Amino acid sequence: MNDGNSQESVARGGRVGIRTLAVSEATKFRSIRSTWISLAIIVVAGIGFSALFSFLIGRSWTGSSQLEHAQFDPVRISQSGIFISQFVAGILGALIVTSEYSTGTIRATLAAAPRRLSVVGAKVIVISAALLVVTEVTAFIAFFVGRSVLINYGGTVVPPGASLIERIARHALPVVNISSPGVARAVFLGGLYLVLVSLLGLGFGLLLRHTTGTIALYVVILLIVPLLAQLLPQGISSHIVPYLPSNLGLAMTTVGSRSTDFAGQLLSTGAATFTLALYAIAAVGIGATAMIRRDA
Amino acid sequence: MIKATALSKHYGATRAVDDLTFEARDGVVTGFLGPNGAGKSTTMRMILGLDHPSAGSVTIGERPYQSLRWPLREVGALLDASSVHPGRSARNHLLSLAQSNAIPPSRVDEVLDIVGLTKVASRKAGKFSLGMSQRLGIAGALLGDPGVLLFDEPINGLDPEGILWVRNLLKSLATEGRTILVSSHLMSEMAQTATELIVIGKGRLIAQTSVDDFITSNTVATVLVRSPEPTRLASVIDAAGGSWQPGEDGSILVTKINASAIGDAAAAAGLALHELSPQNASLEEVFMDLTSDATEYHATALPGAGS
Repeated sequence: MNDGNSQESVARGGRVGIRTLAVSEATKFRSIRSTWISLAIIVVAGIGFSALFSFLIGRSWTGSSQLEHAQFDPVRISQSGIFISQFVAGILGALIVTSEYSTGTIRATLAAAPRRLSVVGAKVIVISAALLVVTEVTAFIAFFVGRSVLINYGGTVVPPGASLIERIARHALPVVNISSPGVARAVFLGGLYLVLVSLLGLGFGLLLRHTTGTIALYVVILLIVPLLAQLLPQGISSHIVPYLPSNLGLAMTTVGSRSTDFAGQLLSTGAATFTLALYAIAAVGIGATAMIRRDA
Repeated sequence: MIKATALSKHYGATRAVDDLTFEARDGVVTGFLGPNGAGKSTTMRMILGLDHPSAGSVTIGERPYQSLRWPLREVGALLDASSVHPGRSARNHLLSLAQSNAIPPSRVDEVLDIVGLTKVASRKAGKFSLGMSQRLGIAGALLGDPGVLLFDEPINGLDPEGILWVRNLLKSLATEGRTILVSSHLMSEMAQTATELIVIGKGRLIAQTSVDDFITSNTVATVLVRSPEPTRLASVIDAAGGSWQPGEDGSILVTKINASAIGDAAAAAGLALHELSPQNASLEEVFMDLTSDATEYHATALPGAGS
C-alpha cells in the first residue's frame, strides 16, 4: 500500500518467474548447514578416494595379475569417489524438495509462486549450478591427485586405449595426461554424473514428498537393483546391467578398453551420458507433473 | 476483496468444503468462524491456490490467485506458523520469500521490526518459541505490503500481550483499507476483533452477517428459577406461556417469558422463589448451539461422570 516507492519501481511489470525464483531458491539452498556439509563430503570423498585407490593400486601393482593390469583404468580410478558421493548428491537433490514438505515451507513457496513448474525449474537450476561447480572442481583435483600418486609408484604415461598386449608388454603402471584423447571428457563426466543423479533424487522427491521414502527409493535404484541384477541369468542381466545408473557412471568415466566390463556390454561414453540425462529428465518431468496436479 | 462462489472440496465421500459462497470486503476484519474440522484451513488453502477446488471458484479482487503477477504483493497469508525450516534464520526465511516476488531486501528488515523480531533475526527459526514463530509468520504475510491478508488462527500460542498486539494489528490493517480474513474457532475472539462474520460448520455456510447482528439474532434470553416446589413451578410457568427445561440442582431454565413475568406468576400462585436470575447466553454458547449439528468431532461424557 506504500504505492509509488521502492517496491513498485523495482519491478514494474514482469511477474514471478524462473529468474526471481532462482534467486530465492539460491538463498534457501545456501542458508542451511546440511547443504555445506553435503558439498564438503562430495569434495572430500572425491579427492580422498582417488588418492586412496591410486595408492592401493600403485603399492600392489607388481604383485597383481595380468587381468588386473588389463582392467586398470587410471581415469576411472581417479573418479571412484563418485560412487560414494552419488548418495550425497541424490539426498541433496531429494532434500531440496522433501524438506519443504516436511517443514511446511512448500505452502509459502507455492503461495509466492502459483506457477509450480517455474518453482521446479528454479530448484533444478540452483542445484545443478551449485553441484556442477563443486563436482567439476573435485573431479579435476581428484584426477591430478590420483595421477601424482601413481607417478610416485613408478607410473609411466601410456596413451589411453593402448592395447592389452602393449600394457602387459610394458608391465608398467599406466598413467595418462589430461590432454590425452578422451581424458578431460571422462573427468568432466565424472562431475556431471553427480549433477544428473542429484536430479534423479529431486524428481523422486517431487513424486514421493517424504524424505525417508525418497532416500529409500534412491538407494534401492542405485545400490540394491544393481546387486539383484547380478543374480539374474546372464541373458537377461546383460540387457539390464549396462543401463543401471551406477554403470552408466562407470561408462562415463571410462577412457580405456571396455571389453573387460560386463563382457563388453558397457555403453559408450556418449550413449551412457545420453541415457542418464534421459533418466534425469524423466524423473524430474514425472515428479513435476505429480506436484503440479496435487494439492500442496 | 475475496469472493468464493460455490466453492467445494471433496476428499472421496468426505465434503471438507461444500458449496461455500461468501465475500470478504475491503476495509473490514472478516472473521472466519467454525469448529475444528469445519473446513476453514482447506478454504484458505484454496484461496491461495494451494489446494485445487473440486468445484466452484474463489477470486482475489475478481482474479483467480494463479493469475496474480506478484502474489505476495497482493495477498499475504499466515497459514501455519511452524512452516519454517528449523535450520534457517528468520531473516533468510523472509529474504527468500521477498526475492521470489522481487521485493527489496530492505523490506525484510522493516517487517522484522514491525513484528519485533529484529534482535533474533539471525537466529535459527527452529529455536523460536511458538509465539515468536507466529510473529515470523505474520512478518511473512506483511512482506509484500499486500491489500488482502489471510490469517489462520493467528493468536494460537501467543501470550496476552501478543494477542492484544495481533488484534490491534488486524484492526489497523483493516483501517488502511485492506481486506482481512481471520479464522478462529473461538467466538469470543472474533467478537473482539472482527466486524463481519462468516460462520461455517462441516464445510457449509451457516451464516454471513455482521458480528452485532449475529449476537442479537442468535441470543436466546434464559431465566434461571429455583423454588422449593419445582413441580408446581413448572405448571405455573406452563400456565404463564413460558417453556422450561430442568437445570442443575433442581433449578429450572425458562425461556419465552422474562424474569418479571415469572415473578408475577409465582406471586399470584403463592409460590416461594429462592432464585430468579436472567442468564446472558455467552457468545461461545451461541456459537456452540449454532454449530452443534455441524461439529465434526463430538466429545462424549465419560461413563459415570455427571448424572
